This record gives sequence, C-alpha cells and structure tokens, in this order.
Amino acid sequence: MFKKIIMVLLAASMAAVSACSNGSNEKTAEKPQASAKPAAPADPFGKYEEPVTITTAYSVDPAFKSTKGETLENNAWKTAMKEELNIEIDIAWQVSKENFDQKMNLSIASNDLPDAMVVSQVQLNQMVKAGELEDLTEAYNNYASPSVKRIMESTNGLAIEQVTFDGKMMAIPHVGAEDFNMLWIRQDWLDKLGLQPPKTVEDLENVAKAFVERDPDGNGKADTIGIATGTGLYNDFTAGPGAFDLTPIFGAFNAFPGFWVEGEDGKPAYGSILPETKNALAKLRDMYAAGLIDKEIGIRKAAEETVISGKAGMFFEGFYGGYWPLPSAWQNDPKANWQAYAAPLDKEGKYNVKITNPSNGYLVVRKGFEHPEALIKLNNLYLRDEAIHGPDFMLIRNFFAPLDEIGFEYKAMQEVLAGTKKPEDYADLPEYKLLKNSLETIKNAKLEPYDKLDIQYWNQSDKDFMRAYSIMVGARNHFDPNLNKIKSLSYTRTESVEKRWTNLTKLEKETFLKIIMGSAPLDTFDQFVKDWKKQGGDVVTEEITKTIQ
Amino acid sequence: MIRETSAASKIFDLTLIIVLVAISLLCILPIWYTLMVSLSQKSAAAAGIVSVWPKGFNLNSYQQIMKDAMFFNSFWVSVQRVGLGAVISFAVTVLMAYPLSKSTKDFRLRNVLMWVLVFMMLFSGGLIPLYQTVKAYGLIDSVWVLVLSGGLPMFNVILVMNFFRNLPKELEESAFVDGAGPWYTLIKLIIPLSVPVLATVTLFSIVGHWNEFFSGLVFMTKPDNYPLQTYIQQMVVQMDLTSISNDPEALKRLNELSNQTLNAAKIFIAMIPILVIYPFLQRFFVHGITLGSVKE
Amino acid sequence: MNNKGFAKHYYFMLLPGYVWLIMFSIVPMFGVLIAFQDYQPVRGVFRSEWIGLENFEYMFALNDSKMIFFNTIFIALMKMAAHLIVPVIFALMLNELRAAIFKRWVQTIVYLPHFLSWVILSGIIMDVFSFTGPVNNMLSIFHMDPILFMGKPELFPYLVVGSDVWKEFGFNTIIYLAALTGINPSLYEAAALDGANRWHRLRHITVPGIAPTALLLLILSLGNVLNAGFDQIFNLYNPLVYSTGDIIDTWVYREGLLKLQYGLATSVGLLKSVVGFILITLSYYLANRFTNYRIF
Repeated sequence: MFKKIIMVLLAASMAAVSACSNGSNEKTAEKPQASAKPAAPADPFGKYEEPVTITTAYSVDPAFKSTKGETLENNAWKTAMKEELNIEIDIAWQVSKENFDQKMNLSIASNDLPDAMVVSQVQLNQMVKAGELEDLTEAYNNYASPSVKRIMESTNGLAIEQVTFDGKMMAIPHVGAEDFNMLWIRQDWLDKLGLQPPKTVEDLENVAKAFVERDPDGNGKADTIGIATGTGLYNDFTAGPGAFDLTPIFGAFNAFPGFWVEGEDGKPAYGSILPETKNALAKLRDMYAAGLIDKEIGIRKAAEETVISGKAGMFFEGFYGGYWPLPSAWQNDPKANWQAYAAPLDKEGKYNVKITNPSNGYLVVRKGFEHPEALIKLNNLYLRDEAIHGPDFMLIRNFFAPLDEIGFEYKAMQEVLAGTKKPEDYADLPEYKLLKNSLETIKNAKLEPYDKLDIQYWNQSDKDFMRAYSIMVGARNHFDPNLNKIKSLSYTRTESVEKRWTNLTKLEKETFLKIIMGSAPLDTFDQFVKDWKKQGGDVVTEEITKTIQ
Repeated sequence: MIRETSAASKIFDLTLIIVLVAISLLCILPIWYTLMVSLSQKSAAAAGIVSVWPKGFNLNSYQQIMKDAMFFNSFWVSVQRVGLGAVISFAVTVLMAYPLSKSTKDFRLRNVLMWVLVFMMLFSGGLIPLYQTVKAYGLIDSVWVLVLSGGLPMFNVILVMNFFRNLPKELEESAFVDGAGPWYTLIKLIIPLSVPVLATVTLFSIVGHWNEFFSGLVFMTKPDNYPLQTYIQQMVVQMDLTSISNDPEALKRLNELSNQTLNAAKIFIAMIPILVIYPFLQRFFVHGITLGSVKE
Repeated sequence: MNNKGFAKHYYFMLLPGYVWLIMFSIVPMFGVLIAFQDYQPVRGVFRSEWIGLENFEYMFALNDSKMIFFNTIFIALMKMAAHLIVPVIFALMLNELRAAIFKRWVQTIVYLPHFLSWVILSGIIMDVFSFTGPVNNMLSIFHMDPILFMGKPELFPYLVVGSDVWKEFGFNTIIYLAALTGINPSLYEAAALDGANRWHRLRHITVPGIAPTALLLLILSLGNVLNAGFDQIFNLYNPLVYSTGDIIDTWVYREGLLKLQYGLATSVGLLKSVVGFILITLSYYLANRFTNYRIF
C-alpha cells in the first residue's frame, strides 16, 4: 500500500552524500604518481616484487556454472595472475549483470569506488566529470602489449577518441568485433512456397505477403507473421546493433536514422530528419498496413517469442542468430531452416549497413590507485592466454576482439572445411581467441556436404554448434559483395547530447512508431523535423559538427 | 447473527456469491499461469504458448531448485529477516501508538511528536545518503540492515494509533482508577482489545519484509547475503533487445538468461510461505471478537 | 485524574521508535540539499556548488512537462479513488457473505495478485490484451475488429488504473476487514430489534463504522498524488502511449539512463514530498473542521 516506490529510485533518489568520504581520496590523489618504481623499463608482462591487490566490482551471471568446476575463489586465472604478475583481486561487491549498473551508479554517487571496474559510457562521462578517475595515458602507452595496441588501432582511433578527455586517456575502451544486422529467414518456408530469397525491398514485401497469406507452416490457420520486430526500430549512434529491429529496411532507402551522416550541404546532419528516412517510413507504413510486419511492433517486449514458436518467417539480427534465439526455436521445430542474407538491397544494389560503436564498456581506475598499470598488464595477460585458461572468471576484463574477428573466423572455417588449410596453419593468432577451438571442432558440428548450409546438414547436439552455425550462416554475409558500410560521423555523447537526448529520443520514437502504425499521417514527419530542430536538435547538431572538425 | 429469510435477500445472496466467484477466478489467473509455466517445457515457455494447461509437463524446474543451495540460503535469510522484522515492528508500533493515542492533556508534546512522524513519512533524504549512513553504522551485509533500513513503519503506527484512540475511554480510566500503570494497561487491556488491527499491521510487515528486494541489492555486497526476493528478482529480468553484446560468452548465456520455467517455479515456491500465513492470521478477523463484551 | 506522572512512561515508550527514526530517516535527511546543488560525488553535499532552483527550473522548462505532470496526477488521482472505493465495496460484499469458509477462500484468493511483481504481471496483461489474446477473441465473437489495447493512448491510463486495482484490491481490503471487526455487534442486534432490514443496517451501521478508516486512508493516500506507480507503468508502456502514459518517474528514469542526474532526481523527490505534505496537512484541517475528526 504505502510502500515506497523503489525501482524508480535508481535514477530518482540518487540523492545525497556526506562529506566524510572525501578527505581520504583527495589526499591520495595529491601524492606524486611516481611511486610506482620506474626501475625496470616498462614490461607489459613484468611481475611485481610485492603483491599488488586490486579491489573491484564483479558482475556475476546467476545462471552461470563453470564447466570445469572452477569457482571465484579457485580458478585458473587467479593462479595465473598471481604467478605471472603477482596480482591479486579482491571483490568489493558482486551483483548480477542486470543490476550491475544500478549498483555501480550508487557507488559512483556515493564516491565509494573499488580500485578498478568496467563501466558504461554514461558512467564514464559522469566519473570523469566528477573527477573520480585516474589518468591512464602513461600506463597505457608504456605497458599495453603490442596485441592490445594492434586491436586498439584497428578502430582507426575511434575507440581511443571516446575515452580521451582534454588529451588524457581516462579509460581503456573495450573493442568488440564488427557486426551488423542481416535478414534471417525461414528457407524451408521459401522452398515450400516456391520462392527465392528476397533481394530488393519489393521482393521482401512479396515474400512477407506470401508468408502471411499462404500458410507456410501448414496448420490451416492464418497465424503466421511476416517480419518479427521488437520495440526498437533502429539504434542511434550511442548504442550497438540491436536484435529484432528494422535497420536494414531503412538502409535500403539510404536512410540512417539515429546516425550522424553527411547532409546535402556537406555538413553533418542527423539521419532521422532527412528525407530518405521519410521514404523508408512511408514504405514501412504500407507494409504495416498490409499486415507484413508484426502487428504488435513497438509493444511486444519479447519479440523473439514469435520466432521461437515458429510463427514468424523473418527477422533482422546480427551474425549470432545461431546463438540466440534460434536454439530455442529448434527445440520446438528442429527442421526450421533459418538462413541469413544481406538483404534488402538499395536501388543501386548495395546492402547498406550501419557500423556501430566498437566499444560498449570501459575499464576505469579510481583516482589515487597506486598501480594503474597493473590493470593494463592484467589485460595483456588475458588477451595473450585466453586460449589456455578459458573465458571464465576474467575479472576486470577489457573485452578485446579484432574488428574483423567474425569474418576472419568464417574465412578460416571455410578454408579448413574445403581442405585448403589446416587448423594448425592458424596457430599463433592469440587475438582471435575462439579461432583455434572453432577450427578444430568445425567438422563435428558441420555435417557433409560442407558447402550446404541447410539445417539438416548440421549436428545440432554438438557443443560447438551454436558458434559454428552463427559463423557459417551469419558471418558469411560479412563478405557479401554488395556490402556498403556506413559510419556515424560521431559516436560521442557531447554535453548537449546528454542534456537534450531524452526528449529528442522520445519525440522521435513516438512519431516514427505512430507513422508506421498508421495512427499519425505520414506528413507528421515534416512537423517532427521542425520540432526536433527547435527542441534542441539544432544545438546538438552544431556541437557535433564542432567535435568532428 | 441475525437471520434474514426474505426472497429478495436470498437473491441478493446468490448474486453476491456469483460475483465473488467471478472475481476470484480473475485473481487466481496470474498465479495459475505462473504455475503452468513452471511445469512446462522450456522451449514452450520461451515461445509464449503456455496458456491454461502446461505444455510438455515436467518437474525439471522444481528438481533443479531442490539442488540449488543459493535458493535455500536466501530463503533462510528471508526467514530471519521476516522474523526479526515482524517482532521489532510489532513492538515499536504498539509502543509508539499507545502514547500517541493520548490527548495533549495527558501528554503535552504529543502533537509535536506526531507531526514529526507525519513529516518523516513523506520526506526522505534519498538512497545515497541512506547508503552512506548505513555504511557508517557498519551494517553493510548484516541482516539488521534488511530489518531496519526501511525505517520506522509510520503508516502502521498511525493506523494502530487511530484504533487505540477509538477504544472506549471508560475501560482505560477504570483500570487507572484501580491503580494500573500505563505499561500494565497497554499490555493487559489495550493489546487484547486490538487484536484485529494488530494482526493487520503484523501481516503488513511480514508481507512487506518478505517481498522487498531492493535493500538486499543495495546493502549486500555478495549474493550469499541476499534475501529470497532479491535472489529471484535478479533472475526475472527482461532482456533488452536493443543492446545485446556480441561477446561470444555473453551470447552463449542468452538462452539461459530467459529460462522462464525455472523463474516461474522460483516465484511460485517463494510465494508459498506467505500464502500460508494469511489464512492463519484470518482467524483474528472474526467479527466482534473483541468489543462484544464491552458495555456501553 | 491522577495520571500526570504517566508522561515519563510515554516518553520511554516512544524512545525505541524515535531512535529508529533518527538513525534511519532523520540522519540521512541531509540528502535533500542536493536538490539545490550541482552535486559532485567527490565533493559531497557540503562542498558541491549551490545552484538554487536550477534543477526545478529544468524540470518545468521541458516541452512536455505539462503533459507529464498532467498524466501523473490524472493516473494517481484515479488510482486513489479506485483504491478507496473498490476495497470498501469488496469488504462490504464479503461482510454480507454468510458462508464463513467460502468467505475465507475468497479473501485468500483475491490477495494473490499482490505477490507478483509487475515484470511478471505485465507479461500476462499484455498477453491478455494482445491481438490474439482472450479479450480480442471475445470481441471477435461480437464481430468487432481487434483492438491494439496497449497501443491506444486514449485507453492506456484506464488499463493502468484497472490493472493496478486488480492487483491490489484484495490486499487493500484487509484493512477494512479489520475495521469491520471493530463495529460493536450489539448495534446490529439492537437495529434488528427495531426492525431495520439488511440494507438499513448496511447503510446506518456498517458504512459509518468503517468511514473513519476510509477517511484516514484517503487522506494518507493524498501524499502520493505525484506517484502514479513507476514499476507498473515502466513495464507496461511504449512510445505509442507516451502522450498519456509518460509520468514524472518514467521520465526521470529515462533521463537517468543517459546521465546520472542526482540533482534532478532529488528535486523531483522533494517536490513530490512537499506537494504530498501540503495536501495531507490541508485535508487534515478540512477533515477536522467539517467532520470534527482528527486522523493524527
């Protein structure tokens, strides 16, 4: 009844703080940093003479069970970091992944931070602004291993740019493998109805129409859905690729809503307010009216349900369909033959994909921590030895993957299956962490003939099946000849973005959904453009323009 | 009780029963659904096709819970919390409500103290100062923080205070005349007369402590100290489709994360103790148990 | 009366409660200062920069702040009314019921939905109101076109209020059941002797009997006039119904996702408290003036 309304509070009652916790931190911050002995030249894997203890926050996955029976107290990495670097990690607090942000926000707000932790971009910005973080420039430059630096540089400065504040590197960014959304489609339905995989938007419409109207699941009921979609229509420049959105259809109209692209006048413009986006919306509106898109778009929270239940014939997702949600779908129907294509194409026959921010996490170190380089060394070790010690219990880990990891693995798999190369030919590439295992096991997961990808030629019960299928079927499209990669001109949350984005996003999402679902006329778009500019969009654009120059 | 036998009255009774049955059915629906999901196959639950009966009946979820040490660990934390919380709330509520039910004539500062309570019921400093305060007290990771951090149950105090105030004054006065002190009067006279309202606020504090999960999240540094609802809450989350990381390890666990049958089973089991308590407390709500003997 | 010396016992009784109050509510109150600051964690409350009412101005300067405030108050008021009326009616219905066992069953069943979180219930509600759900199936029997209930801004607030009442009315009824036990049974007997029928007894004895409790709960609920229920709305809403469903708390939450807004969040909390406190105080004096009844 009168219970306090709590959930809101994460955001809402971030309230006060006492002065008592301040003194100590600032004192340590004033101490000269040089206390880390510069005796030996910087060795990325140098062992400390005295043990170094790092406290951290640990995000556990409640469903996690180590296959090797390891525990937090007793695991290979704990031993390895002690023996190789003389580093120990203490857990200040641990919490499930889903609640990690809440708990971290509380830590930030009460200035009660562990020594090192991995945070989000919002949190990073906040911590920098609050002066809670140690400058990592020197530690990174002197101690990062060549592999780490290679991966960082593969982003062409994009990763480092985001963590650089006034010329100082305040965090080490994650670098994730590049990926983009593609069309996942029921090949068995296509075959049954005598259709070809769609290439253009028109094809896509026809296929969707057939899927909806011609009872592809043969149950005699009109209960099938053309394209399954969730609540997000596309991601803006602040987020990674989302599952179950409509980005590729926008792309087919050369529309890149949410991205900063070059406008007609050559200046940066916001993709959502350009005429191409209106064209895409017009098409989506028609498709929705014709019943080709999930009727409950924008409302359905668990969009994957319709795929798992075998009701939907298409959806858009990254290469990882074989990881999720298809394994659940195959439990209901092991013969559902899901294949992936780089479609629909634009008028010039190109498949336009949005390249998202390569970093979705940032390793930061509390101001005043004496050994910031210890974190760099630790992650050098993680990257070098993951193939040996496995992926479990890598505390305070910077996730590093070469940008081309997914595609590279596909190429290698293909070569191995074709017999032109052997797994041993790919030895000595520790950055591609899963490559070795993938190549050694691919012939268990993939059945002959190796050049046929349909579901019946796979061993679904193999333990490496999920990755093998995702790479072979999904990552295949990373080499599609029609691929055209679009980058946002900026991936940075500037000050004015932070100030206005909540409202601008609300306006945008509401308008677009209403247009698609037919509860507002298409020309609402023009009003939206005006409102968007007036309500702060112009200011944001100006600031983004400045950051690019 | 008074009997009424007119036809109109009988029709009224019948309609009443029909309406109440309909309402009950509507209310049992979500629990029934949760139970059915917990008894279904994982893939059917993920597909959202479970309805009135389980799809692919099995007891795997329950077998899994029986093997889950964390579940029982949290269960025990919750039991401790509810036990301590209910007793302390009861004692403090009664002890506060009684003096506050006095008039200013008998208790001069009564109004000031009352309004401090009302004020504090509405205003709070927020989560972060509370966290820092609790930390300064050294209560992080202690079961006491679960019992106390919710603050004084002011709503219950006001409710009980009102009830006390409406008891016939004559009873108390005659006790005073007989030489009884306030402690004796409270324990021997007032409390027995207030059983229904005390049962109500006790139920409120039991249910409140049992269901509350946020303080476990905020004040506990490791899952070993979580109360049951915190443990459950961290599993029952909605996946955010707009931000899925393509870290292979995270991808591998996506299917596990949405293990709805197991979650449903946990929710269901966690509900049972609290459901058992209510019928037990119901006997304190019997009509006229208290005041029937009071002469006016 | 010779109970002058009792006051010191009264203070003693209040002591534990007030210690609790001071430790966990009053000490953390320093947090409200953040509402007037550009709060920086490293500096803390006492050294962050003072910015006066800037946080409040920001809140009111929004393009749609009017709409958000309206939605909040509209939904909260409707909930307040519904949470007053429905449990009272339901308690009266139960009170009229004669079969004691049936009564207990109904009581227990209707309080079940209270124990499920909104994350779970929102899934069930969305299924029930989906295109292929039971409600639309029923409409199709009458040859009506299916309605996308959750996407209709004109229906959304009512769905919110309706589902909240459904979840909580059983639990809220308990308090009235306790109040009903406080009615002296001899009143009914006397009325029956005077020839009053069932309806008369309901109107002249039962309803006045629980009216003070209802008034108390109503006045206390005024403190929540700016709380429309974050958990529920957050789990049910979507961009299509922003125009009628976006409330202060959901807005603050989205704002907080983008930046950790301590100052803003605290100001919102403070504003809610001030408004709630003013309303409660005002209604306290009005109630006192017109019904001569003091609730505190």
